[in-house]
Order: sequence, then structure tokens, then C-alpha cells
Amino acid sequence: MSTPARRRLMRDFKRLQEDPPTGVSGAPTDNNIMIWNAVIFGPHDTPFEDGTFKLTIEFTEEYPNKPPTVRFVSHMFHPNVYADGGICLDILQNRWSPTYDVSAILTSIQSLLSDPNPNSPANSMAAQLYKENRREYEKRVKACVEQSFID
Amino acid sequence: MADKGDNNVERMDNENIKPDKMFTLKKWNAVAMWSWDVECDTCAICRVQVMDACLRCQAESKRDFYGKQDCVVVWGECNHSFHYCCMSLWVKQNNRCPLCQQEWSIQRMGK
Ligand SMILES: [Zn+2]
Ligand SMILES: [Zn+2]
Ligand SMILES: [Zn+2]
Repeated sequence: MSTPARRRLMRDFKRLQEDPPTGVSGAPTDNNIMIWNAVIFGPHDTPFEDGTFKLTIEFTEEYPNKPPTVRFVSHMFHPNVYADGGICLDILQNRWSPTYDVSAILTSIQSLLSDPNPNSPANSMAAQLYKENRREYEKRVKACVEQSFID
Repeated sequence: MADKGDNNVERMDNENIKPDKMFTLKKWNAVAMWSWDVECDTCAICRVQVMDACLRCQAESKRDFYGKQDCVVVWGECNHSFHYCCMSLWVKQNNRCPLCQQEWSIQRMGK
């Protein structure tokens, strides 16, 4: 029996295939449409360029009224990504809207890579380096980019 | 951005491009308008056309014609429209229009 959340996710998947946004991709896991694997390619002209960062997205039956849990599987060095891969992004928490879909979620995370918000840090070291020592920040990010090829 | 492009094209056209070129561009414009209209007729929450039953009603597999009668469209003061079913679940947690973030108040309901 297919629930509204599952039906919505099938629509999300269809839209992602028919109208794929640049630099992101995602698909449900083989046996469970409530858990997705996704990849975000590091945006050009940022230290994340060339990285292929893997994520998991977990939905509940309350989707799209409740946001999914999104987590980086690849190691990240970013002011708004926690050590466990969790993401501090307003639209995935208090600014969530039920009009968002997987495509919108992934493109928002992609733009977070280009525009970190060091004022609400999830990784205080990354936030501090981003503000005070951009060269060291970029060095640490590039290390993640290289690691993302191996993961 | 699109507007700017159009102006440029029109200016160029007046100067030296053959009329049939301009015809092609007008056609492209019309296609863009069409997809924008479709966006408006779709409930942005469940992504089904507002004139059809919402995903929830479809999933509960109500008898087809009952389902369609129950599942009405609601318009807010902001002129955004959704299925009443979809919107009533959302306003329980946040009384704002999910598209424009204005305070949600119902302007009318129906089909
Ligand atoms: Zn709906
Ligand atoms: Zn309904
Ligand atoms: Zn609105």
C-alpha cells in the first residue's frame, strides 16, 4: 500500500530525472523509497570544486509536512556541517516548507557549499578559519575534496 | 533577464534581422508562459493538479468520484491555491502560506 509520502517521493524522483539540476543527483535506495542516496558535486570557483560528496536523505511518513534528515556521508570540512555529517541549514529545520522537494533540498545544500554562514557554526574550527584564515580553510577543504574521490 | 534579452532581440530585429527569425523567438516565449501556468495549477505541496484529488485522497483510494468531490481547492488571501487536504495538515504546524510565507487566511474554497 502506497502512502502519500511515498507517492510524493516518487514524484520527486520523476522530477529529478526529467529536469535534473546541475551538479546534484539522487535516487532512492533499491528496497526503500524512504531512504535516498545523493551526490553533490562541489560548485565551480569554490574550494569544493571537483569534489563528489555523498549524502543520505531519510524521510518519514510525515514528508512533505516535515523535512527529511539529510547527512553527509563523505567527510566534510564546512562551517555548517557537524562532525557526524549533519547539516545546519534553516530550510531543513525551522524554515522548512512543504513545497520543497528533493531537487530543491539538494540545490540548497549545494549553494550552502558556496556560501557558508559562519555566524551559525556547526563546526567552529571551520567557521573560524573561514572568517580569519581563508588560506588554511581552503587547504582543509581541498583535503576533503581529495578524500571524496576515495570514499 | 529574459526581458532584457527580448528587448535586445527586438532592437536588433528592427535594424537587420529578417522577420521570420523574430517569429521563432516569439514562439519560444509562448512556451515559457505555458509552463508557468501549469506550475500555478499544481498544488505545490503534493504536486498534483489542484483539479484532481490530492495524493492523500488518492492513496486512501476513496471511490473515485467521492474522493474528487471531497478534495476541494482552497485559495488564500495571497491568491495561492492548494488542496484543502494538503493545506489543512500544513497550517497545523505553521500558519503561513508555504509559497510566499504570508500569514495564511482563506479567501475562498471550491473547485
Ligand atoms: Zn495537494
Ligand atoms: Zn484530498
Ligand atoms: Zn501565498
